[in-house]
Amino acid sequence: MPLIRSRSDKPGADRPPGDLRAALLSGSPEERWRAARTVAEMGADAPLLTQALELEEDSRVREAIFTGLARIATPEAALAALPYLRSDDANLRAGALDALRMMPEASRPHLKALLRDPDADVRLLACDLLRGQATSEATLMLTALLETEPEANVCAAAVEVLAEVGGPLAVPSLQRCAHRFRSDPFLGFAIKHVIDRLGSPSSVAGD
Amino acid sequence: MCDFLYRRTGMVFTEAKRYYVDRRVVDRMLATGAASFTSYFARLRSDLQNEVEQFINAFTINETYFYREDHHLRCLTSDLLAERIRTKKPGEAIRIWSAPCSTGEEPYSIAIWLLENWALADSYDIEIVGSDIDTSALEAAREGTFGRRALMRLTPELIEKYFEPVGPERWRIAESLRQSILLTSVNIVDSTQTRAYGKFDVIFCRNVLIYFDDTSRRIVAENLYESLSPGGYICLGHSESMSRISPLFEVCRFADAIVYRRPRDGGHG
Repeated sequence: MPLIRSRSDKPGADRPPGDLRAALLSGSPEERWRAARTVAEMGADAPLLTQALELEEDSRVREAIFTGLARIATPEAALAALPYLRSDDANLRAGALDALRMMPEASRPHLKALLRDPDADVRLLACDLLRGQATSEATLMLTALLETEPEANVCAAAVEVLAEVGGPLAVPSLQRCAHRFRSDPFLGFAIKHVIDRLGSPSSVAGD
Repeated sequence: MCDFLYRRTGMVFTEAKRYYVDRRVVDRMLATGAASFTSYFARLRSDLQNEVEQFINAFTINETYFYREDHHLRCLTSDLLAERIRTKKPGEAIRIWSAPCSTGEEPYSIAIWLLENWALADSYDIEIVGSDIDTSALEAAREGTFGRRALMRLTPELIEKYFEPVGPERWRIAESLRQSILLTSVNIVDSTQTRAYGKFDVIFCRNVLIYFDDTSRRIVAENLYESLSPGGYICLGHSESMSRISPLFEVCRFADAIVYRRPRDGGHG
């Protein structure tokens, strides 16, 4: 019989790092990973994780820090992730977006500002974050954006989210957006599709 | 109540599952003789007579059977173990973790499959650990008695070889298998519990992440990452994708299955 019973009958005790701050800020990658996870597990210190995130270059440890921030889920934790939405590093952007998505309550106070950010990429990511918000609030913010947003890609992101969370109240804003971008056939098609889906008369302005 | 359950287990029950939750709470109130929800909740919060464990047991789902999603078992013997033994030192055991293992069908299936289908099975020590948060399911797994439905995918020859009939439509798995598989209580959302079991070569974590929210999934992904040896593999259920949960793992496409691998050391950063 090649099967042997595991010797882990009495699992070993789990010992967290002694000096978490030192481990997190100047340990080996393995120590930093472990410390980042332990900080959140032990009940949270967003400023320490924030500081660590600024220094961290190992993508695996960054992921653990983002997860830790999401577990802490305080306004400070959301604030720590926000700057990375405008990072040039796609992994950092995605990490920040995932973390913010996992803490919808803590992210909420920042969403209006994100939707008005001068950087179109940030506005686009902010649309995605609205998926996790209450549908009425998300619809209000997205329809407001559709009225003035100058970038077709950002509008397309908003339209995509509205397809999931919107209702008939979103239709007039969608129609006006289609009209503003009537030279963009993709956006017109997407908006028509969403209006059909939301169950209202699909007379897209400009058709 | 749902928040209490979430904080203890990572499982999420929304308004859409209200009936499921209500029914189980009423069952526990009847079982404990609680006169009101308030008195039951007080009992739960104070963990009177291990009520937290009983409460969690009531919410877990233990629907499974032998050789379920057996493409992972084929993948295990066709590809995964060959990769893992390339880096094994002489005498080093192969370690496989079934978490959650429910009532035991999965870890026992892995054992039977290896004995039947892996030509090198006699050349290596193989440790199989099955873990679950549901202690009543673990008791059933240790007992190892199954009905016809659980055995529906096994051939009569396999049933004859690895089980003994113990009653009408009931079979008990061979004692040698029961004795060789370690079955333990583990909450996979709790890293202090998962870390204690060391590193595994392959983890089967199937059809459980669907019950968690995004944060709990990420925590579990990181726990499982820690529990894998570098280069070790994780098998998820057919509707689950690690790529949507965490970027920590590499996607590996084999002939029989898509699985996820912890990068070998130096694979990040």
